[in-house]
Amino acid sequence: MPEITMPRLSDTMQEGTITRWLKKPGDEIKRGDIIAEVETDKANMEIEAYDTGTLEQIVVNEGQTASIGQVIAIVGSGAGTQKQASPATTRTRTKDTPSSAARETATRSVQVANSKASRSAPGSHAQTLPVACASDWQNGEQGDTNNSKIKASPLARRMAEEHNIDLNQIQGTGPGGRIVRDDIEDFLERATPILVQPAVPQQEVPVVATAMHMTDVEISTPTSMQKTIARRLTESKQTIPHFYIGNDIDMTDALTLRQMFNASAGEKGLKISVNDLIVKSCALALEKFPEINCSWMDGQFVQHKRINIGIAVDIPAGLIVPVIHDANIKGVRSIAREAKTLAEKARASKLTPADLEGGTFSISNLGMIGVTDFIAVINPPEAAIMAIASVRKTYVPIDGQPVIRDLMHVTVSADHRILYGATVARFLQEVKQLLENPYMLLG
Amino acid sequence: MAEITYRQALHDTLREELLRDENVFLIGEEIGAFEGSYKITAGLLKEFGPKRVVDTPICENGFVGLAAGTAMLGLRPVVEIMTINFILLAMDEIVNHAAKIYYMFGGQCPVPMVIRTPGGGGQQLSATHSQNLEVWFAHVPGLKVMAPSSPADAKGMLRTAIRDNNPVIFLENFALYNTKGEVSDGEYTIPFGKAQITKEGTDLTIISYSRMASVALQVARRMEQEKHLSIEVVDLRSLRPLDHETIINSVRKTNRAIVFEEDWRSYGVGAEIAALVQEEAFDDLDAPIKRVASLEVPLPYSKTLEQEALTGAKQLTEAINALAPRRRRS
Repeated sequence: MPEITMPRLSDTMQEGTITRWLKKPGDEIKRGDIIAEVETDKANMEIEAYDTGTLEQIVVNEGQTASIGQVIAIVGSGAGTQKQASPATTRTRTKDTPSSAARETATRSVQVANSKASRSAPGSHAQTLPVACASDWQNGEQGDTNNSKIKASPLARRMAEEHNIDLNQIQGTGPGGRIVRDDIEDFLERATPILVQPAVPQQEVPVVATAMHMTDVEISTPTSMQKTIARRLTESKQTIPHFYIGNDIDMTDALTLRQMFNASAGEKGLKISVNDLIVKSCALALEKFPEINCSWMDGQFVQHKRINIGIAVDIPAGLIVPVIHDANIKGVRSIAREAKTLAEKARASKLTPADLEGGTFSISNLGMIGVTDFIAVINPPEAAIMAIASVRKTYVPIDGQPVIRDLMHVTVSADHRILYGATVARFLQEVKQLLENPYMLLG
Repeated sequence: MAEITYRQALHDTLREELLRDENVFLIGEEIGAFEGSYKITAGLLKEFGPKRVVDTPICENGFVGLAAGTAMLGLRPVVEIMTINFILLAMDEIVNHAAKIYYMFGGQCPVPMVIRTPGGGGQQLSATHSQNLEVWFAHVPGLKVMAPSSPADAKGMLRTAIRDNNPVIFLENFALYNTKGEVSDGEYTIPFGKAQITKEGTDLTIISYSRMASVALQVARRMEQEKHLSIEVVDLRSLRPLDHETIINSVRKTNRAIVFEEDWRSYGVGAEIAALVQEEAFDDLDAPIKRVASLEVPLPYSKTLEQEALTGAKQLTEAINALAPRRRRS
């Protein structure tokens, strides 16, 4: 019986949350049908059916999370619809909504009722059976805590025994939800920080617990995108030696250029933003200083030939960084058009993996919210990110006289494993040069 | 070191053994005047004469029996059966006599005889001329079964076979004859029951022999490039005796295994190895052992259908994709 598993929808995806099932058990599905929507670390995606048949069982319900390869539904001829839940289901049931649990109980009742009814007369029996089944099911649930009923490979069982792991805690990703070595290793990896420093949480937990009255707080579970942001940024700050270089850029001429551009664009024409000019200037500066367009990967320098600029976009559920590919060879208008589309897609959760992959440098712009300066965390595997603050009217001495100019503070965060202060300073100098002479961006 | 074909390696070894020991002689259909159906024995009749290179009529039963008799009396026959499909006529001589004599007569009379024969499909020779019958012999105590995959192994193993004092079935493969490989100088030999790890790896193990071992090696190298999968390839080389130690150690390391064989799947080499691994390394298994073998049909003549029925790189790649662990070990 074909199983539908959680597909890998992006390079960095480790798990996905089912946001919506578009098919329900009993529905006919055809190869190519969209059967569910999934939220991954990067975007909302659709899952397509690879088999034709009847959706017999949904194993992972809406709102539940499954790792890559884990069975999320079962497709068959239709004969097995309303089939007994697999061990994997019973173990994820803790997260079920009451209604879905009740539905499953009901379907089991129907199944048992049918099979018994075939041997004895229907009627009075059928009415009493559901009660008996419900208690059977509950017994089954309790019995499930026994490791011997869980599907696991011999090696996984041995490893669990060696590390004193209760297999009930582990979600299998092998065929049919079998727990395999990968799952045990995932589990050990997640558990390691706690095992290594058992004293720390023990000391801290009581303090936190007494300081917080549970009525004063509201606890919510992060979405998978928020979890990914937390994981990746923690990794970034913990593994990348950041250093920071800042400068003021005089944006007076750039703002004039932008105004001229937009004035000639007409009512419905494409407007370019300050950010589009910054993207273009960074791309041109990266062309001149290719060492910035680099990654540190497995102890080696990786020089990227394409210049792909990520733009941090603020969205309600967090933050996302779509990428403008080959920004160095695109004109300012193309960049503006693309940036606008990407931002719209980001807010509508319609970004595809292609929109998000391949970034080699990022820009984070908080200028529109009025900040004097800030620094950003590097977006791995990139080597640097530029934080853009607001443009502010400032008196600047020109020829010994105070003149009002539009100054913008920017800060580059850079990976010191790859980059050194002078290199980044020269790069920043080039960006400054370009933005202060903005006609150079039109070349 | 020199790069030679599998065919050349066999030819050179036969010639060297004919020169080394006057008791060695060759016998079979079309091996003398016609110089061999696959030219393995080219030039040997001219060099050694009709007493050392004996052409026979089409009577496998007769000349295999004759060879067994001469072996009992001290000669060292090397029989060529034109294809393994024709060996069925001589089964009684091989299984009931050659394999049993040393044992049944209390070790008084060894039977130093080698039967060389090629198997395999893919040449459009149809159902009766394209079989892989190695397990018929690997099943029988009293026989030794070798199936080299490279010219170097062919050479070292044929020497061992000819110098051994009891019957050896030496399996060749049509599609290997023209393959080339480096062969060391000097009179090296390769012992029975010693598998070779032709490529080290950590994510999964492919166990194979004969031509499929060379296909497995190519696929494993390609998958390493394309998928960063670290695949270990075990070339069994001998099917009987079987090298348990190398197989078990490899599975202990990778926890996942595929047996890749050109013959049919049921009751095959894969079945034997899967059973062996679960007996000796059950707690190291992370997934059921996969068997990749040819379809269980008499092999069709039609080129398209023949290719569909035979197993190969495509089927192996699919099995690797299905079995590969999510987390890479290297």
